Amino acid sequence: MSDLFQSTIVISILAATIRIATPLLLAALGELITERAGILNLGVEGGMLMSAFMGFYATYASDSLWIGLLAAMVTGALLNLIMVFMAATLKVEQVVTGLALNMLASGLSLYMYKLAFSDAKSKIPTISIFQNVEIPWLSQIPYLGEIFFTQKLLTYVAFILVPVVWFFLYRTKFGLEIRCLGENPKVIDTKGLSVTMRQYAALLLGGALIGMGGAFVTICSTVRFIPDITAGRGWLALVIVIAGNWRPMGLVIAALIFAFLDAFQLQVQGIGVQLPYQLLLALPYVVAILLMVFKRGTSEEPKRLSVPYFRGER
Amino acid sequence: MIFGRFKIEPRLEPKLSWQIVSILLAVMMSAIVCAIMLNSAGVDVGKAFYLIFEGAFGTWKAVIKTLVKATPLILTGLAVTVAFRAKIWNIGAEGQLFAGAITSYWAYTMFQGAPSFILIVMVILSASIGGALYGGLAGYLKAKFSVNEVLSTVMLNYIIRYVLSFLLISGPWRDPSSFYQQSSRIIQAAKYPMLFGISRLHMGFAIALVLALVVYLFLTRTSLGYEIRSIGFNPKASRFKGINVDRTIIIVMMISGGIAGLAGAGELFGVHYRLKPDISHGFGFLGIIIAMLAALHPFGVILAATLFGGLVNGGIRLQVFTGIPTAMISSIQAIILLFFLTAAVLTRFEIRRVKANE
Repeated sequence: MSDLFQSTIVISILAATIRIATPLLLAALGELITERAGILNLGVEGGMLMSAFMGFYATYASDSLWIGLLAAMVTGALLNLIMVFMAATLKVEQVVTGLALNMLASGLSLYMYKLAFSDAKSKIPTISIFQNVEIPWLSQIPYLGEIFFTQKLLTYVAFILVPVVWFFLYRTKFGLEIRCLGENPKVIDTKGLSVTMRQYAALLLGGALIGMGGAFVTICSTVRFIPDITAGRGWLALVIVIAGNWRPMGLVIAALIFAFLDAFQLQVQGIGVQLPYQLLLALPYVVAILLMVFKRGTSEEPKRLSVPYFRGER
Repeated sequence: MIFGRFKIEPRLEPKLSWQIVSILLAVMMSAIVCAIMLNSAGVDVGKAFYLIFEGAFGTWKAVIKTLVKATPLILTGLAVTVAFRAKIWNIGAEGQLFAGAITSYWAYTMFQGAPSFILIVMVILSASIGGALYGGLAGYLKAKFSVNEVLSTVMLNYIIRYVLSFLLISGPWRDPSSFYQQSSRIIQAAKYPMLFGISRLHMGFAIALVLALVVYLFLTRTSLGYEIRSIGFNPKASRFKGINVDRTIIIVMMISGGIAGLAGAGELFGVHYRLKPDISHGFGFLGIIIAMLAALHPFGVILAATLFGGLVNGGIRLQVFTGIPTAMISSIQAIILLFFLTAAVLTRFEIRRVKANE
């Protein structure tokens, strides 16, 4: 166990924490915008999985990581488009719609993967992935440089997006309108502004972020695609939004907690500590439940979350 | 909205005929999407549809196989039905199925020496208790700490998979002679009896049918069933009416989990004869689609589960003959649900002739 406290191992755990937090944070930020607009999108896992696949596939087909990233973001937005069409236009039960999207993504990504690569059975298809970007000067700082400033581009983007999303939601007119949708959509409606159009905008934006999170799982992390590659990250993103109390900064902390547990688990397995590894793998999900149980203080949960808006209601 | 002499108005109670129309519409639209997918994969669509039908209901043997596949789906569909009636979103039928499988296997190891009848009764009892406790846990978390049940049941789904993996790899239940994550084969006395002598259709199917009737009577004829529908309709009003909502939430989740647990025992003691991670292929999640298509009606669940069991077998036949991955069937099942939700919007409206004085 003493091996765990060597500085190289601590650094590697912390650097891995930042890396692993990236897709969680991106997806949670996307879901935050969605939920602030009053729509509970339970299809995050599906959105991430489908865009992880499309990112991989587009990269494989075009040989360009940027096209892969774009494809993933468009995929995430498209799945959210289905969600918002069902939720805002048809006013269908949001919980069931989100679950349907998850099942769709799980089936479709596997189907498309098998179909696209059915003739390549002998050779597993691989791509080259985004490399780490060392930030000049900052990456030279002892310890901190390795932890924070030798990461993938999307990791920097994810953390920069935290204040950006905060500014958007709390300081711009459009962001305030989106938050109003989650609290009292009638205000927007009586001002003659379209509730539905704003919900579409919020979900497309959120979907693109979820897609970016999905992209990180494939084209920033691994050279090959495996079925169900997101492995519950989308669900953790939903827990992160709750545990982070619907605030951008809270999201960061919650995402880092889950990422740390995962990074720790990887490292412990790596140095062969005698612990049933299933225990460590199950830990994030146990912690997720505990975080929801011990959530204290006033909840910032949007009051109109998952309640469809009908004009003329009181 | 008024079109000439007809008027479209919101409808308070959905009508059964419209519900059936929307299911047919959804299946038709899904078939079209399916045809497009098959066509783009370069397969003769007509032949593919025929293969699916043949695999599902083509021969008596196929029908029996379909009913075997439908058995766990009826149970998970019923489990979801009970919970969704109360608008409690139990996504955990999958985990509760495994919880039931684990506890029933534990009972099997404890009562192995007992006569076959007692052994099987213990297996069934412990499966429903295991599922009920696991479901009840999520209910308790919702009632006492207002933890969103969707998320807690999803997390519990993941956790139970690791518990199972622990038991089968590092734990005492590992089959020492096997490389795979599985227990050793169960003894003959513990196997579910077959319904028609030599066929593969096991007792679990009969259990599922009886439970559908029990759930129907429970929901429509008991006061608890009334309370369940009442909290589904309006939890606030139910509280004012003196219904102990917290208690009902826990009971609903226990009933739901208990039914799902039986699906786990059925697959273990009726089909696979071993405890292993692939006794369920997402049956808990399919139960959600099935319950929705059945409009949360227990008898509808039987029909929808049979349809889906058939689709699964048809998909296998399709893969054997054309190489189309069976994952297409999973996609189509989700697409059916999406189209059904869309088409069900129709049931919220009615078309009425405008009278002369309006």
